[in-house]
Amino acid sequence: MITATRKSLDEIKNMIRPYTRVLVAGCGSCVAECAAGGEKEVAQLVSALSMAFKIEGGGPSLTEVTVDRQCVNIFLDELEDPTRSHDAVLSLACGAGVQALAERHADRNIFPALDTQFLGQTKSPGLWLENCLGCGQCKLFYFGAICPLGRCAKQLFNGPCGGSQNGKCETDSEKPCAWQLIIDRLDGLGALNRLEEIYEPCDWSLKQGRGPRKIEREDQQS
Amino acid sequence: MRITPETKLTVFYCQNCFKEDSRILEAQMGSEVALYPIACSGRLDPLFILRAMEQGSDAVCLFVCDEGMCRYFEGNRRASKRVAYTRTLLDEIGIGGDRAFVRFLTESEKAKPVKMIAEALANARKLGPSPLKSASAKRRKK
Repeated sequence: MITATRKSLDEIKNMIRPYTRVLVAGCGSCVAECAAGGEKEVAQLVSALSMAFKIEGGGPSLTEVTVDRQCVNIFLDELEDPTRSHDAVLSLACGAGVQALAERHADRNIFPALDTQFLGQTKSPGLWLENCLGCGQCKLFYFGAICPLGRCAKQLFNGPCGGSQNGKCETDSEKPCAWQLIIDRLDGLGALNRLEEIYEPCDWSLKQGRGPRKIEREDQQS
Repeated sequence: MRITPETKLTVFYCQNCFKEDSRILEAQMGSEVALYPIACSGRLDPLFILRAMEQGSDAVCLFVCDEGMCRYFEGNRRASKRVAYTRTLLDEIGIGGDRAFVRFLTESEKAKPVKMIAEALANARKLGPSPLKSASAKRRKK
């Protein structure tokens, strides 16, 4: 899933201060899972902003709404009327959701309330870890389902750097060494031989080198 | 009990802390205190505190069972973390995080709800009116 964190209240206030009616729009998918942009967080933010503006002496009126996914066009239909009846929208979606909504409303300011972070997993309640860079050439098979690009601080493809100590990364003693995890796991699976191959560097042109990527499937289109 | 501009302190408390009926406690404490029992302090959501402040309370106190004494093991610990988070949010808002506080109660303190609430109310009085009230008063003067 895509993770995100809330921007500071000051930054958010500065964006929406000039407007009279602002729609605060949450997204019920990834950012709800990482407790940044779901229904609860929308309610908290609206309450916090209302109080902050009241102390300042006034601010926009705020309306709450949350849709299942702001990055999927069909769900954005639900935001069509509310967006039109407000001066601006403060979106608690990831960057993809904010842009998807903005694309449909050329005459409305759509502001991001969140800083989109990374593709990750919910390790435990309140802990989200980055584990995928979305490189477009998944090689998890070779590395025992542990990505050296996403989880090694140096993104090494062909073995550890030699700096890890007691299974921890030298850049941060709290973080596990991805290569220690890879070797331990492949050892447990009896598949250490997968590491005998030399892997060529990732072809980054597939991720960033040719501009924004797209996936197009005719069988899924209407 | 509804929170009104008269309210100085809103109290959320775990039902395992105080056995007394909240209505009886409210009658004893007067209109300055609004009481909200919750099934376990772990049910507390930061929004509860924000709403209480928004509706006019000067301070919010959460009474929880002592360390290691939560009937549901972790409710008190989770609640105190949520209050800590809410304090940072209240600081950002400009209200002041010290207006939300947690009180861990020993078994003997649980038997004295009026005294405990009175202490929290004294703390709320020390903090003075919430900046929200001052802002409303300024607007009225204009």
